Amino acid sequence: MTPDPAIEARGVRRVFESRKGFLFTEKSRTEALRGVDLRVEPGEIFGLLGPNGAGKTTFTKILSTLLLPTSGEARVLGIDVARNPQAVRPRIGLVLGGERGLYNRISARENLRYFADLFGLPPALRDRRIQEVLDRVGLTEAADRRVEEYSRGMKQKLHLARGILHRPELLFLDEPTIGLDPKSARETRKLIRSLVSDGVTIFLTTHYMFEAEELCQRLAILSKGQIVARDTVAGLRRLVGGDTTVEVEAYGFEDAEIERLRHLPGVGRILSEEFGPRLRLTLRSSSSELTAGAVRSALGTAHPDLMVRERRTVLEDVYLDLVEEEAA
Amino acid sequence: MNVPATPLTISRFRSTAASVRLSVLQFVADPQWLIPSMIAPIIFGIVAYQLVLGSGPYFVVYAILGAGMMSMWGQTLYGSGWATGQDRVFGTLEPTLQAPTPYVYVVLGRILWNVVSGLVGGAIVYVVVVAESGQIPAVVNPLLFVVLFLFVMVTLASVGVILSAFYVYTRFAGFIQNIGEFAFYVGTGCMFPVIFLPWWTNPVSLVFPPTWALDALRYGSIPGYQGFAWGFGWDLVGAVATMTVYLVLAGLVFHRVERHVLEVGTLGDY
Repeated sequence: MTPDPAIEARGVRRVFESRKGFLFTEKSRTEALRGVDLRVEPGEIFGLLGPNGAGKTTFTKILSTLLLPTSGEARVLGIDVARNPQAVRPRIGLVLGGERGLYNRISARENLRYFADLFGLPPALRDRRIQEVLDRVGLTEAADRRVEEYSRGMKQKLHLARGILHRPELLFLDEPTIGLDPKSARETRKLIRSLVSDGVTIFLTTHYMFEAEELCQRLAILSKGQIVARDTVAGLRRLVGGDTTVEVEAYGFEDAEIERLRHLPGVGRILSEEFGPRLRLTLRSSSSELTAGAVRSALGTAHPDLMVRERRTVLEDVYLDLVEEEAA
Repeated sequence: MNVPATPLTISRFRSTAASVRLSVLQFVADPQWLIPSMIAPIIFGIVAYQLVLGSGPYFVVYAILGAGMMSMWGQTLYGSGWATGQDRVFGTLEPTLQAPTPYVYVVLGRILWNVVSGLVGGAIVYVVVVAESGQIPAVVNPLLFVVLFLFVMVTLASVGVILSAFYVYTRFAGFIQNIGEFAFYVGTGCMFPVIFLPWWTNPVSLVFPPTWALDALRYGSIPGYQGFAWGFGWDLVGAVATMTVYLVLAGLVFHRVERHVLEVGTLGDY
């Protein structure tokens, strides 16, 4: 029997209505999600990328039972989150992160103990499990200090500890490394990888492209409440024209020159961007034959100020291409 | 999937106990609680004694009941709703509701702790008034007095559950509670018997279980007390009936309120 997908969303829409004013109220309506379809398989790290306000947190909250969809269906571990949230909650973990969401006047250990009881961890197991997660996130030494004395990074670790306390099958991480110093961020990524090797499915939202590229097996890009692309990192690179990127910069280019560049090996798309008086063309190619030298040859000697840079297409390129395309 | 299964068992008792424990820890950690729980009862005791001084043979009992109820109203009722409001402010309402335990058990734990701390406030009032008057108040039936006193606390708590649901429902609950606070403790007879109020206020007062219970408490502890004409027995019936309605409502309302905030998406607002 095929296992249920960890997450399956079909046509998920979410509309927020708000009112302004007291006596003469003015209604406003925001469509945060406009029909999201998504499937995440058990055991994978799935990344959801998108600009601010794209709907990432809204979608995460729907999947983690903190918000109901206006329409559409979302199933987590085979259970409909809108119809049966109580059955989903013990099996998932949620890390929203940030400065809020913790009891600041008590210690980390007491915070964890409270939530361990609300999650129904048996008393015989509770204290051992608390110590285990404190060790795992590196908070053991500070475990008995008040949370209000914690740095932002330590609070983030405590959020993470709370999320994994009851050993969820599926963990939602909303920007887990935001505010962390590079060392702590690296440790968090290591922890995420170790959770996956324990069999936990991870649904991750992040702004950090290198993080998504490093961690995620598959990704989706959400823009203005819609998924604009979903694939592996390699697949997304192909979607925007390939693995190779060459950037060419000069004081403007003739149409004929651009046409010549378009006919170079494997060139899929050419993006242009103005920097004051200078113009930058970004060429994406699926062929390793597209080199800085090939571009210089195609343009000849017309641009004494020509700057050419060859590099590998990174996820950030893919993200910017797709999000900007959607915005356009 | 090879996640080692954890046998999670949601226990109402353990969830409520966890909530009591958290309330105690937060109380101990935050010195500002000393004001409503320790200092306010002293002031209420002194003021109430001066207000009723010489107004009949049982003025000491009047002072203790008036000040004691004022102090307990703050702890039991206001405190229960306020804690949920704080959950909103600190962003802990979302992770708490995301846990599999129904939120009503968290509220129940807080109310239990608030009842205990309200009783401490009541005891402080007693000590202050006794010290000020230099006499131990004559209570006709001490056992009945204790039982009725606890009963009043339970009726206050039943209003507290509804208030907590209101705090989950909207971030403006604190504002509305602050407006209604004075009307509530006058209207329910915390400070002085409701019978002293204009007749047209009585129907509103009778909607609240503590109004009935407080009247019964005064009937049970002050000989010759003139409260509602229907007397002690019907006061008790009224208190039990209204409280039952409140508790049934709370049971129904909590689930719906939780559902409502998930629908409108205001759980994270503060």
